[in-house]
Amino acid sequence: MAVDSSAAMPTRDPVVTIKLASTSDELLQCFALRAAVFMGEQACPYWEEFDGNDYAASHIIMYVDGEPAGSMRLRWFQSFCKLERCVVLRRYRGLGIHHEINAWAKRFAQRKGYTKAYVHLQKRHMPMMEKEGFRRVDDRTFKFSDHEYYAVYCDLDKVDEAIRLDSDPMVVNRPEDRLDEEGILEKSAARPATNPHAPHVERLRN
Amino acid sequence: MTTAQSIDGEAVTTKLAMRMEDSMQAFAVRAACFIGGLDVPFSEEFDGHDFGATHVLAYVGEEPVGTVRVRWFQSFAMPERLAVIQRYRGHNIGALLLERCRALAASRGCNMLYAQALPADVKYWEKQGWRRLVAEEGSAGDKRIVAMVKAVDPSKPLPEVEAPEAVVLRREPQLDSTGMPRGTVSN
Repeated sequence: MAVDSSAAMPTRDPVVTIKLASTSDELLQCFALRAAVFMGEQACPYWEEFDGNDYAASHIIMYVDGEPAGSMRLRWFQSFCKLERCVVLRRYRGLGIHHEINAWAKRFAQRKGYTKAYVHLQKRHMPMMEKEGFRRVDDRTFKFSDHEYYAVYCDLDKVDEAIRLDSDPMVVNRPEDRLDEEGILEKSAARPATNPHAPHVERLRN
Repeated sequence: MTTAQSIDGEAVTTKLAMRMEDSMQAFAVRAACFIGGLDVPFSEEFDGHDFGATHVLAYVGEEPVGTVRVRWFQSFAMPERLAVIQRYRGHNIGALLLERCRALAASRGCNMLYAQALPADVKYWEKQGWRRLVAEEGSAGDKRIVAMVKAVDPSKPLPEVEAPEAVVLRREPQLDSTGMPRGTVSN
């Protein structure tokens, strides 16, 4: 398929936007980018790429000039946040924008109170991630989906504005990537608490 | 035309997408082939027509390996976005998908299949029993698309259609460009 795709090539000063995927369209964009890179470029089978954890995770979508360009999946464990499934579409590589996704993910995890970010890193990417402060958890090497991996992690500084048990409940309710902005539920507080419930209706018999 | 019934002992099957997970698999296969393989931008690949179309999937065992999208018009059915994962090519899975489209169109009382092919792919479509809608070669550039047709019922050949190519290749207008799933920046 020959396509005139010049419209979607990165511009000299690309506008990079990163957000939490919060609609089914944005989630599909994340999945499509991962399919493009992992299934299309790295020959990963579908069931290994879409491994059952996608609906227990947070997904980050990155746009370059409005076009979906990169993605990452985050999973939350008690003592660390796992950064995984990081992709940048081929045409947007070389701009260094994966560092922006990493930085965004780390800040996001910090804000949720996490102090460790954990990654299963393909060996070949070790030098790149060492520059970001990641180091190996131990000497184990493991393989899956045709690649060799290290477990690496980095410490995240504690931040004052991290969500804690005693944070304002209405801040906890906000969209997680916009904790500093008033959320839709705060706007709903303008309505009185009328405690509406539908009455219980007996199911009609034949 | 023979179609592989199994590849490495795994059955080759097709089905219509019925559930969200099925659609997801169709989208993943297309993303792998068109965005990953051919560098098509996301917003061109997912063009707003996916939720007014029927998706057909091909599997090798449990693995989704191919897909095609069918859009329905009053006078024809239009298979498009035909994709097979690279390492499963060469087993006639594309033909199997197109045959499933044809059978589906037949079951709906549709007489004609219509497709838009790139010049480089015209031979492939002809091998599957398609022909050019307009017989003569246009003043072709490499990117010019070619309208192809095939009778749904091979015993009832299509009448010759006299339509200028410019008309038959007219793009369907964007349904609602403001509603397209894209990024948060527009430019």
